[in-house]
Amino acid sequence: MAVETRAEKTSPLREVLETRQYELNMGPQHPATHGVYRAVLQLDGERVLAMESVLGYLHRGIEKWAEYRTWTQATPIFDRLDYVGAVLNGHGYVGAVEKLLGVEVPRRAQYIRVVLGELQRIANHLLWLGTHALDVGAMSMLFYPMREREVILDLFEAMLGQRLLPNAYPIGGVRFDFPKGWEPVCRRFLAAFPGRVDDYEGLLTGNRIWRQRTIGVGVISAKDAIALSLSGPTLRGSGVNFDVRKAIPYSSYGDFEFEVPLGKNGDVFDRYLCRVREMRQSARIIQQALDGMPEGELRGKVGKIIRPPVGEAYYTVEAAKGQLGYYIVSDGGEKPWRVHVKSPSFVNLQGIETMSRGNLIADVVAIIGSLDIVLGEVDR
Amino acid sequence: MSRLARSAGNRGSTPREAKRAMTYEVLLNTVGWPLAKIVVLLAAVLTVVAYIGWFERRLLGLFQSRLGPNRVGPLGLLQPVADGLKLFLKEDIVPLNARPFLFKLAPVFAFFPAFLGFAVVSWALPWATPSGRHHGFVVADVDLGILLVLAVSSLGIFGIILGGWSSGSKYPLMGSLRSASQMLAYEIPLTLSVIAVILLGGSFRLSDIVAAQQKLGAYFILPGLLAFGVYLISAVAETNRVPFDLPEGESEIIGFHTEYSGMRFGFFFVAEYANMVLISVIAASLFLGGYDLPGVDDAALYAAHPNLASALGVFAFAAKSALFAYFYVWIRATFPRYRYDQLLRIGWVVLLPIALANVALVALLKLWLLR
Repeated sequence: MAVETRAEKTSPLREVLETRQYELNMGPQHPATHGVYRAVLQLDGERVLAMESVLGYLHRGIEKWAEYRTWTQATPIFDRLDYVGAVLNGHGYVGAVEKLLGVEVPRRAQYIRVVLGELQRIANHLLWLGTHALDVGAMSMLFYPMREREVILDLFEAMLGQRLLPNAYPIGGVRFDFPKGWEPVCRRFLAAFPGRVDDYEGLLTGNRIWRQRTIGVGVISAKDAIALSLSGPTLRGSGVNFDVRKAIPYSSYGDFEFEVPLGKNGDVFDRYLCRVREMRQSARIIQQALDGMPEGELRGKVGKIIRPPVGEAYYTVEAAKGQLGYYIVSDGGEKPWRVHVKSPSFVNLQGIETMSRGNLIADVVAIIGSLDIVLGEVDR
Repeated sequence: MSRLARSAGNRGSTPREAKRAMTYEVLLNTVGWPLAKIVVLLAAVLTVVAYIGWFERRLLGLFQSRLGPNRVGPLGLLQPVADGLKLFLKEDIVPLNARPFLFKLAPVFAFFPAFLGFAVVSWALPWATPSGRHHGFVVADVDLGILLVLAVSSLGIFGIILGGWSSGSKYPLMGSLRSASQMLAYEIPLTLSVIAVILLGGSFRLSDIVAAQQKLGAYFILPGLLAFGVYLISAVAETNRVPFDLPEGESEIIGFHTEYSGMRFGFFFVAEYANMVLISVIAASLFLGGYDLPGVDDAALYAAHPNLASALGVFAFAAKSALFAYFYVWIRATFPRYRYDQLLRIGWVVLLPIALANVALVALLKLWLLR
């Protein structure tokens, strides 16, 4: 709050012109909260003094639900966590079960998982880019990424039979090989894609308004980001080099060459740049995986009925939003005893208070966009 | 009319008859013709306002690699009709917290001034009738035309403030507060840029300003390039459009008309587009020579075929205004939105000094070069 000057203190109008903080309820029905996120803002004018997140509007009890399904039947449920990055969610769950079972996933299946996973990452980032730009007011940017995302969803449909929630992997490998004619389409997409990203960057990265709206807004230091255990591009925007694909390589990620884009200042602009550059790297990974695709089996040795031994396992993947972890416990039966999801959206959302304090309402909108949250994953 | 006019001039008629004819003629000239003009103008403007929405949406579709409205009628041309019908059929909601009287009054306040400004716009050279009379293509060619436009268009802010405040809700209130400070910040540069044109044209009357451009042989966009730039930016801000669409800021505070529904919302909507059309029209007459036909000697053409020149003039005017409308849509398709504080900084710190300096510059130009 601003300090009162002497003239203001002695002013006879003081009683009349007293300013007050007020509370503004943002969400759960607000176009910029990307679903049913609710924030209660304490405002001084348009400046945010404090904010509180209220969650739970999309809680569907997914973790509990999984306990009433067999290990196999539980797989499609986890697609519904982060419904715009479904393939990566599925990867995390089947990875955890495979770890507990001790199944070796064939190398070809691992490579296919990399291809599909990175395509999903690109699709997720494209959707994020469009909606984030729309939040900041750039209307056309919603439509250009959708055009490219459509190609990816078509590829999913051709291979997996579903566009959004494809239930991509069975436990132990992949269900299908690439269908005929799939790979050329994918390669054509990869060839065109960097040019498309250049187009997006041409509209935003150098745009004065975009830079003014994002640089220096929603800053979070590397120290705070680690303390709040943020992950994914939200963490890397602050310059912390942590990517599960590099740090704990899974599914043959060690075979591929790619860079982990890092930011410097931890503001909205850096997080934006991280994600945009990550899309280029993902395209690079897919290219390498398609070029070096090994021959072989699609599925490891898994029985018809899956009964993991008594015990627990934790498996973590780099999902589109950040580090997605599955902690599973088996009592030796046909059903999971417990599946706990460490979801990146939920953890990253913790950072919003630190980022928003002292900024304006319009910045809060930009910050929510830069966190790339999906409420299906926040509430589970 | 011609029969009455003849009878008025007939020396054989009694003074009483002549007097009756005179009052009839006076009545026709003071009420009849202006009223007819108003009806025609309102019909034309309302049609244009309805179709500018269609124009914008189709154009945005082209910009954004999609089709835009194309289902209702050929090329989606009946879309405005369908939209209007929808707004009329919607439930009219007055929130419990609202102040009903002001809440209902506010859309009128926004709607009315938006259409008033069109009265002083001179659309073409006067239409000549065979009997030798001239009818101006203008409802009221008043001396202070452009000042009237500025004064009336700033009245529209009352509708926005009242609407936001009387809704009894926080988001609309914030929207209207933003709007008020934005209007204040950009009204001044806008007026200053218009003053530069007034200096160049030597008159407040829009037809005189166009005539001055014809006399000069160049449109005022050339000597008043800076004023044109300031006008463009302020005009976008005045009409609350991207990148200055903060009062609406859909993704932030939804806007001052959050609580409005049905046709009350429609009034705000129509007023916004009417303002956009008005500001395009004014820009066309101030900077692009209005109804002047580019590359044609208008005076000679008018002497030879007065009505052809008038008719072509209306088309030229429409085309020039459409250029501005296109420009509006273009920037909407391109730019993100400014933040509240940034917007005010641009208005007060950047545009205002430029506009002030420009007025001095144009005055000197006028003094030395364009005497």
